Amino acid sequence: MDTVAPPPRFDPRGLVELDERVPGTAAIDGDRGSFDARDLTTRQINLELRRLVYELGVREVTVRNPGAKHSLGVGILARCRITFEGSLGYFACGLIDGPEVHVTGRVGWSACENMMSGVCVIEGNAGSLTAAALRGGDVVVRGRVGARTGIDQKGGTVIVLGDAGSMTGFMMQRGRQIICGDAGHGLGDSMYDGTLYVGGKVASLGIDCVPGEWTEADTEFIARKFSIYGLGSPPELQKFVCGKKLYNYDSLEPSERKLVL
Amino acid sequence: MTDTVSEAQPSGQARPEVERQGQNAGQDAPRRTSITIDAEYLSGHRFPYQEDMSLVEGVDLLAATPGQDINWLEDVELLEEDGVPAVFDRYSNSFLKIYFPIPEGREDEIARKVLIKHLHSGNSYGIALKERHCKFPQPELGPWLEGSRTVGADWTTPVLEGWEPPQH
Repeated sequence: MDTVAPPPRFDPRGLVELDERVPGTAAIDGDRGSFDARDLTTRQINLELRRLVYELGVREVTVRNPGAKHSLGVGILARCRITFEGSLGYFACGLIDGPEVHVTGRVGWSACENMMSGVCVIEGNAGSLTAAALRGGDVVVRGRVGARTGIDQKGGTVIVLGDAGSMTGFMMQRGRQIICGDAGHGLGDSMYDGTLYVGGKVASLGIDCVPGEWTEADTEFIARKFSIYGLGSPPELQKFVCGKKLYNYDSLEPSERKLVL
Repeated sequence: MTDTVSEAQPSGQARPEVERQGQNAGQDAPRRTSITIDAEYLSGHRFPYQEDMSLVEGVDLLAATPGQDINWLEDVELLEEDGVPAVFDRYSNSFLKIYFPIPEGREDEIARKVLIKHLHSGNSYGIALKERHCKFPQPELGPWLEGSRTVGADWTTPVLEGWEPPQH
């Protein structure tokens, strides 16, 4: 007798690993917790993180051996400190609002995409699309970043100590980027607003990206951020802004204006 | 969207952008539409901290934000909506108007304090939506306040009454 396979299960929220349970393996000491992620799946790691931060009120979490798994530390919406001892894969720490994250290794594509607030310090290199659609907070990359860093950025600050790839700041709408090394072709292409600072050579400027006038506010801002993150003395930086020839907010409908605030 | 707030505004000012829809003109209960949405429109009333600066003076912006500076508030500045000073609440996609005189040189600081007071108070319309619609467990009052209760732990798929799944 043939058996009929049950229909595939579906979660409208897009969850995979539907039956995953919280591993509950973390060691907790006061408001600190840590766990080894080596044998855990992506969802198990994120469930354990949420259990510690949301349910147990742990304020400092250390995740050992993250193994460059993708989508770790996403959607954490609380004030806490999270340290990943190792490297992370794609979409690390996206959609966060509040955490202060420290990654001791590297990260793949799209780290900190759609980050609302908080801090993310990455000791190594970061892939393309770092801080895509960043809304607020600080993303600090001590290594280099790939292409399209801060694409569609709507706020916040990206600091890169090394070089940045092509199309950095593509379609940037607000916020700031400090690139201490060289920047690839098409810097600030089609940007609406925001500020780009570059310490090294710029291969070429993108459409409507023009040199900006340096002010005291720029000096204060750069000095403050370098001091906070212990980055030493800032290099001599060039400032770039939007030339406002291609787009400007005055022509936008009110509803569109709100999308970039 | 039906406009019900213009009568609720303490100042009695009519919203300049409110207009009567043609198909309802002349009926007993005219339907009105608005092209802008602000916080008091969504809630139906003003909040005291929109009118009294002393209620926001004590807000500690550094304590309210992650990191060693004001973090995401760096991008929040005093704007204007309907000719009134206002701060944008990104958590409800609406403007929060400020009716008290703002001292010169403190525009952005006051705007940030009013916004944080609004978020701390749980009055942001986005917070009300969380209770009803959020799909994953999260702190009700977001990262701005310690000890907030968790909402979204019991989300279930909404069911449309009378709908039957297709036969294919």
